[in-house]
Amino acid sequence: MKPAATLAPIVYVVDDDEAVRSSLKLLLKSAGLTSLAHVSATDFLAAFDEDQPGCLVLDIRMPEMNGLELQDELNRRGAMIPVIFITGHGDVPMAVESMRRGALDFLQKPFRDEDLIDRVRIALALDKNNREQLGARDAIRCRLAALTPREMQVLQLLALGKSNKQMAGDLGVSQRTIEIHRAHLMHKVEATSVAQLVRMFLAADIGTSTY
Amino acid sequence: MRPSSANREVQALLDVAIDAVIIIDHRGIIESFNPAAERMFGYTASEALGSNVSVLMPEPDRSAHDSYIARYLGSGIPHILGIGREVDARRKDGSIIPVALAVGRIRDSDPPRFVGFLHDLTVRRRAAEEQQLIRERMTRVSHLATLGEMAGAIAHEINQPLAAISNYALACQRMLEATEPGIAEIQDALKQISGQALRAAEIIGRVRSLVRARARRREPCDINALIQEVSALVRSEARPQGVQLSLDLADDLPPVEVDGIQIQQVLLNLIHNAIEALSTVGSGERRVTVRTGRTTPTELTISVIDSGPGVDPALSGRIFDPFCTTKEHGTGLGLAISKSIIEAHRGRLVHHPNVPTGACFSINLPVLEGVQ
Repeated sequence: MKPAATLAPIVYVVDDDEAVRSSLKLLLKSAGLTSLAHVSATDFLAAFDEDQPGCLVLDIRMPEMNGLELQDELNRRGAMIPVIFITGHGDVPMAVESMRRGALDFLQKPFRDEDLIDRVRIALALDKNNREQLGARDAIRCRLAALTPREMQVLQLLALGKSNKQMAGDLGVSQRTIEIHRAHLMHKVEATSVAQLVRMFLAADIGTSTY
Repeated sequence: MRPSSANREVQALLDVAIDAVIIIDHRGIIESFNPAAERMFGYTASEALGSNVSVLMPEPDRSAHDSYIARYLGSGIPHILGIGREVDARRKDGSIIPVALAVGRIRDSDPPRFVGFLHDLTVRRRAAEEQQLIRERMTRVSHLATLGEMAGAIAHEINQPLAAISNYALACQRMLEATEPGIAEIQDALKQISGQALRAAEIIGRVRSLVRARARRREPCDINALIQEVSALVRSEARPQGVQLSLDLADDLPPVEVDGIQIQQVLLNLIHNAIEALSTVGSGERRVTVRTGRTTPTELTISVIDSGPGVDPALSGRIFDPFCTTKEHGTGLGLAISKSIIEAHRGRLVHHPNVPTGACFSINLPVLEGVQ
C-alpha cells in the first residue's frame, strides 16, 4: 500500500441519474471536495483504485448491478472505502440490509441542508484514520521483520510482562544477555520506552504463537 | 367364441362407445362410422360410409391425407399409427374441433385397414383457455395490485429531479458565499434547476395522463364477480397469517359501470390493510369479511370489515389524507388514492368503527342508470 498522505481524497459518486450526478459533483466542488462520478457500478469498479483514499456515495437502485451488489463486491475484495448510500425512495428493509453489510450511512434524496456534505466529511475522516492505522501497522511490521529470532522471543516475553530475570531463566541465558537484546530491540523498533515497544508489538497484531 | 356372437359384441361396443370409432381401408374410404362419430361430426353413418376420411379433416390434412397413407404403405414407417396426437377435425357444418386421435392398423388385414379413435377435446380445451384467461386477469390485477408500490415508484422518479434541484441550490448558495463567486458556474446551475423542475412536472403529468387514460375504461360490471376474483388473489396471503377471509355477497345486485381493475385495486388495498391490521392481533378471531348489499334504490355498498384493533381515534379524521400512515414503510397513499378512485366513480369511501372491535370501510357506488 502506498503512503496515504500523498494522495488527496476523492469522493466517488455512483448514480445512474445524470442530473443527480452532475448536481452532486457541483455541490461537492462548492465544499472544496474533489469528486469523480460514474454512471454504473461496473463503470466504477473498472476505475476503482484501492490505494486511493476517499469515500463512495452510492445510489442503491440502479439497473444491472445495484448498490447493494456493488457493496458486496467491494466487501469481497476487502476494500476499506466507506460507503454512503443514497436512495430516491427509502425503504426500511433495504436500509437495514445495507447497514448490516457495513455501510456508513443511508440518506434519502433530496438531502436536507448540509446532510450529505457532513456525512461525506465524516466518511473521509474515517477513511483517513483507517489508512493511517493500517499504514502505521505496516511500518511497525516492517521494523519487527528486522529482529533476530532471539530478539523476537525477548519481545514476546516482554509483552507478557516478564522481568529480565524471568526471561533469563526462560531462555537459559544470563540477565546481561537479555539486557543487550533489549537494547537492540528498542533501537531497531525505534521505541523510546518499554510501554511504547509493547504497544507497537500489540498494534502489529502478529500474535505470540511463534514462541 | 363363435364369429357371429363376436361380431354382435363388437357392434355393441362400437354403439355405446363415448369416443368416435372410424374404420377406413387402404385408400382412406370409410368402412365403419359409429354413433359417437355421427354425433361428433354431424354426418350420419350412411352419409359417411364410402366417403374418403379426409372430408373429416380441415386443410392442409384434407388434401394431404391420401399421401400420408401412401407414404405409410410404401415405407412401412408409421407417422401416427400407434402414436396418437391432438389434431383438428372438421364437422359437417364446417366448424373445427380439437380431438385426440389414436390410429391403429387392423392386424393381418391385407390390403391394410385402419381403425381410428377420436376423443373430443373441446370442453377440456375451453376449460384450459378459461383458466388461462383468469390467470392473465389475475396477473394484471396483482401486477397493479398495491397502490403503495405504485406510489413508491412515482416518489422515486420525482425525488431524482428534486434531489438535483436541492443539490444545485445548495451549491449555488455555497458558491455565492465565496469571495469571488464563479458567476458562469452559478448561472449554469440555475439553468439546471429550472430544467429539473420541468422534469419533475413532466413526471407528474405522465402520472396524471396515466390515470386519465385508465378512467375511460368503464363498463357494466358484476361487483360480486370482481370481489370473487380479488378474494382468490388475497386468500393465499391471508392463510399463512391465520386470517380467514369470508364473503357475504347479496344476490341480484344490479350492475355498476366501473373500471373493474381500479375497483379491484381499491378492494385489494382495503383487504391488504385489514390483513395487516389483524397480523398485530395476539389472540382471538382473525377475520376479514367482504359484504355487498343494496343500500338504497340508486346505490350499492361494499364493506370490508375486520376484527382487528381498529383505527386509532386520534387518526380517524386524517386516514384518507395523503402521507398519513401508521405503517413502518407505508407511503400513506393507499387510502388517499383509493378514495380518489371511488370518488371518480361518483361514489364514496368512508370509514367507521366496527362493533365490538375492528374497522369497517364502506364503498358506495351508484348503480347503472336505467337498471334501478
